[in-house]
Amino acid sequence: MHNSDGSNTAVTVRAYHVPQSVSTATALLAQGEAAVIAGGTDLVPQQRTGSGTWQPVLVSIRRIKALRGVREQAGQLWLGPLTTVSELLCDPLIARYAPVLARAADCFASSQIRNAATLGGNICNASPAGDLLVPLMLLDAEVELSCSRDGVISMRCLPIEEFLVGPGSTQRQPAELLTGIRLPLVDAARIFVFEKFGTRPALDIATVSVGLLAVAAGERLQQVRVALGAVAPVALRARAAEAVLEGRRLDDEAITAAVAAALEEINPIDDVRASGWYRSELVCNLLTRVLRNAVAS
Amino acid sequence: MTNSQTTQQTLIGQRIPKQDAPEKINGRARYVHDINLPGQLVGKILRSGRLHARILAIDVAAARALPGVHAVITAADVPTQTIGVTRDNPPLKGDKVRCERDEIAAVAAETEELADAALALITVEYEDLPLLLDVAAAREAEAPLIHDDKPGNIALQFDYEHGDVVKGEAESDVVIEDRFGLHYVTHACMGVSGVIADFDDITGNLTLYSNTQVPFLHKREFAEVLELDPNRIRIIQPTIGGGFGSKLDIYPFEPICVYLARAAGRPVKLVFSRAEEFLASPTRQPARVLLRSGCRNDGRLTFRKVDMLLDNGGYTSWGATTPMVMMQTFSSLYRVPHCLYHSTAAYTNNPYAGSFRGYGNLQATFAVEAHMDKLADAIGMDPLEFRLLNAQEAGEVSGQGMHFRSCGFKDCLRTAADRSDYLARRQQNIEQRSTGPVQRGVGMASMLHVGGGAKIYPSDGCGTILKLDDFGHVTILTGASEIGQGSETVLSQLVCEELGLPLTSVTVVNNDTDITPWDVGVHASRTTFIAGNAAVGAARLAKEKILKAAAAATGQPMQELDLRGGGIVQRQDGSTLMTLDKLLRSMHFQDKADLVITSYYYEPPSVHQDDQHKGDVSAAYAWACQVVEVEVDSDTGVVRLLKCTAAHDVGRVINRLGIEGQIEGGIVMGQGYALSEDLAIRDGHCLNPGFRDYKLITAPEVPELDLSFIETMDGEGPRGAKGVGEAPAICVAAAVANAIENATGVRIYQLPFTPENVYRALRAAAHDPPV
Amino acid sequence: MPLLHEIGFVLNGSPIRLSVPVTMTVLEMLRGPLNLTGTKYGCGEGECGACTVLVDGLSLNACILLAVECDGREITSIEGLAADPAAAGLRRAFVEAGAVQCGFCTPGMVVQGKYLLDTRTGTDRAAIARGLEGNLCRCTGYRKVIDAVERAGTAPVEAADD
Repeated sequence: MHNSDGSNTAVTVRAYHVPQSVSTATALLAQGEAAVIAGGTDLVPQQRTGSGTWQPVLVSIRRIKALRGVREQAGQLWLGPLTTVSELLCDPLIARYAPVLARAADCFASSQIRNAATLGGNICNASPAGDLLVPLMLLDAEVELSCSRDGVISMRCLPIEEFLVGPGSTQRQPAELLTGIRLPLVDAARIFVFEKFGTRPALDIATVSVGLLAVAAGERLQQVRVALGAVAPVALRARAAEAVLEGRRLDDEAITAAVAAALEEINPIDDVRASGWYRSELVCNLLTRVLRNAVAS
Repeated sequence: MTNSQTTQQTLIGQRIPKQDAPEKINGRARYVHDINLPGQLVGKILRSGRLHARILAIDVAAARALPGVHAVITAADVPTQTIGVTRDNPPLKGDKVRCERDEIAAVAAETEELADAALALITVEYEDLPLLLDVAAAREAEAPLIHDDKPGNIALQFDYEHGDVVKGEAESDVVIEDRFGLHYVTHACMGVSGVIADFDDITGNLTLYSNTQVPFLHKREFAEVLELDPNRIRIIQPTIGGGFGSKLDIYPFEPICVYLARAAGRPVKLVFSRAEEFLASPTRQPARVLLRSGCRNDGRLTFRKVDMLLDNGGYTSWGATTPMVMMQTFSSLYRVPHCLYHSTAAYTNNPYAGSFRGYGNLQATFAVEAHMDKLADAIGMDPLEFRLLNAQEAGEVSGQGMHFRSCGFKDCLRTAADRSDYLARRQQNIEQRSTGPVQRGVGMASMLHVGGGAKIYPSDGCGTILKLDDFGHVTILTGASEIGQGSETVLSQLVCEELGLPLTSVTVVNNDTDITPWDVGVHASRTTFIAGNAAVGAARLAKEKILKAAAAATGQPMQELDLRGGGIVQRQDGSTLMTLDKLLRSMHFQDKADLVITSYYYEPPSVHQDDQHKGDVSAAYAWACQVVEVEVDSDTGVVRLLKCTAAHDVGRVINRLGIEGQIEGGIVMGQGYALSEDLAIRDGHCLNPGFRDYKLITAPEVPELDLSFIETMDGEGPRGAKGVGEAPAICVAAAVANAIENATGVRIYQLPFTPENVYRALRAAAHDPPV
Repeated sequence: MPLLHEIGFVLNGSPIRLSVPVTMTVLEMLRGPLNLTGTKYGCGEGECGACTVLVDGLSLNACILLAVECDGREITSIEGLAADPAAAGLRRAFVEAGAVQCGFCTPGMVVQGKYLLDTRTGTDRAAIARGLEGNLCRCTGYRKVIDAVERAGTAPVEAADD
């Protein structure tokens, strides 16, 4: 929209800040009407295509050192939200404790996007097809949300399943900053699969993605996690399918029952990429294949 | 220089790096997007977004009043001229809009932001009209009329016949009939469309910086549309970011930019956004094809009967003329004694189609080559033998009057089949179907295309001026444009070969209508052949002049002299008599100066087709055969192209590096057409105007490529060469269709073979239809 | 009036200070006020790689990177690589391998190719192909671009001579 003098009635950025600490950043967010920019790989294209608008205040968080890093702490793996997707691909702790996340990082966009896109950005963008969200679900990830009131920072933790509310929508309050991601460390060796459907190794918005994480105990799976992407308003844990599989011998009957349960849990839409029907078919066929491969390995 | 043997390795067939590659890799090449003239304004177009409506009023007052806006124009402000193949397209629409991209108004402003602001201030009042979105309904009595003067919404129709298909069918032992559906794709050149219009303050002459592929035709068309004298229009072609046929017609944005420049009194640059490029560029011509074919039990083809319906969209561009090429494939790809062809292009409110690499041949070949496999199967003959039996040989004349003077068709078939182990693999795939969901298949398809120009315009010629300076540097001024295909390098090779000069001694000028001689344009894969012969002609005239002077200077008879290694040599033993530059200087600096400047206009010996569309329309024809190997996953419908084995009859390889690049790029373009590219036109609107959802092939998806060049040494082509630009894209989709059938037993008759489309087809064939 | 912000960064080896609108992208900055037109607009949304630049040695899409986010960083555009002896082998390989046709995607390909060489992805064709997945080309079919990067990646280290 434009005024008669040509000025844009759409919101333009009136203030730009580059805080160096979480407390400065959260104080800025507390003032309201602020957007956070990290890698900008979702935010900037959205402005360009008009599917988003700038907020009056733009807060760049890339200089906040406390938001970087990957480390073990107290039985958990802590990931800084500014960890780029490229960094996820090569980090040795990720490779050791959360390889399914590295696998998803390898399916993510392109080299140029991976170098800029951040874990935190992917989570807060909350795309139904977000490539990292399925592995984070499998890994029982929790997000740390920090905000400041009267100079005191408080933090709350939410399971990622709760954090993601709908397409582009999360539990993050405007004054909150995502300051960390926690993954519980699991002792036992786990099998993992992440399959993002597409004709390309990456550079695709997922039509469907399927993830499996479990402890293999003989012919049975335990601590089963099944997550699906791009088939519901948010990435989702297929808990009914998990319940079918938990502790059970993984035979054809179990697989069929698990897949049937998963199909009940999804609600895929028709869009320019695929029809809802085809997405259901893909979930059925890919999940079946994933489970059969889990048996074989 | 000594008297020793001066041997010169021939330049022909060598791997020669592209001459303009250095400036491109350094970021110094200036595309139209990179050129900025002093005082330049930004031009932008307001598009209707509506599919079919009467324009009741356009209010531009607020836009005109905006400071920094120098011109706002609508149809009322410009000459009532129309453009396009049938002149049915006014650059700015005044009475009604007929498709999504229609141009309502345009502005010229000081910045892009101001131009956008001005567009937002323009209000338009429409009266919506009923939509016509299904071309099958276009001719019905109650269909909305898109153009008042085109009853039944008929844009163009073509009819062709040779022999008698009724007789042909009667002689057939097998007759099959199928419907094929070919979809919308778009050129997606990496450089978006753009143009700069600049009127000279004093003379009023117009300079256009345009990426047109037909600069001289454009000059004439612009003169008409703008009501200007054509001798006052100059077209300069900046480095182009891809053509592929998208720049063969005059499209509204170019005259609009000129009208803006005229109205504003300042240069105007108009560049598309990528979304606009998808929405407003011409597409490949979609087609609905009904093909009926027959053959005898002994394998000989008997007839082809074709009925084709083309969606013409809102206006007529080159897409509606693709039948001229399609009928050549139906009539002459393999020996067919009887052929009947009919096509109707009908208007709708969908996007309109232009010319696109292959020009209809992809669509026609898709149908023909499906039937070649099906007919072979019906009579129990192997598909290679069936093709070889019906493949033409050198010397034959097709039913449409095309003389195949050089013809490597059978060589192409055998080479592609041998190198891919086609027959054995094909059989193995049938006999050993794997138990899992992933199956492999191989498929073969061939193509025939013009390779020596196409005489559709009054002249199919090209002019060259050659100038040698005092130091032996040769400048080639050619009318032939360079659109990334490497024509400038090929022309340099041909000229330097004639004159015995190294490639370091040559400059090519090819991008300014004030400087270069006429050429009809870069299309129909004609540039190496036609421009090459023109350059060689001028070079031979220069050589004759030089040797005549050399004979006088050396006292040797002319016929005993030659040009090699930058010097005049004794023809027999190669010993150098004098250097070329010394001779040139001696010709210049004498009482009667004699500079070596020659010109030559090459008109190929082809003919215009008669009113039955018959005649030898090209001076040579090109052939190719490709065998592809695919992997089909029936759990997902994903088809992966694993390998393409291609054998192309190119006459003669001039630049081995360049021709490989053309073939590789063409194959990958064909791969996109077959597997991933799909311009989603739904209810008249393009739903995927961007690279996120319009899927070009990316580097990791490229198959293994095995290329063979069959050199049939065409008698008319320069050094034997024929055209190759379009050929590699033409038969990929057809081969993939045959390969999918080999892998799964299912033949799919519509493109594209995207995963969901293939999945649905496989399910339907398994009598398990999709919901 | 858009909000302006002053930034300081190193561009192609030289320090520079510049005032830019906060929402201006690096692509707009390069092609506009800095008059460096080698970096191309292909799509404006990070899908085609024609605008690839190096920022602190990482390859990024300039069209979706805000210029203000480059404060304190080092940017290398195709013009910088054109003058960089360390990129001479790569540039020569692109020319000799026939990796250039219309050339519009070429600056992005060369910059991305440099990144692949710098991160030791230059010797395995499959890895190179993956590394180029974010760079679209309509002319070449990619094979000779992969050839060029492979050729540069496997070439013996030589003295800079460009």
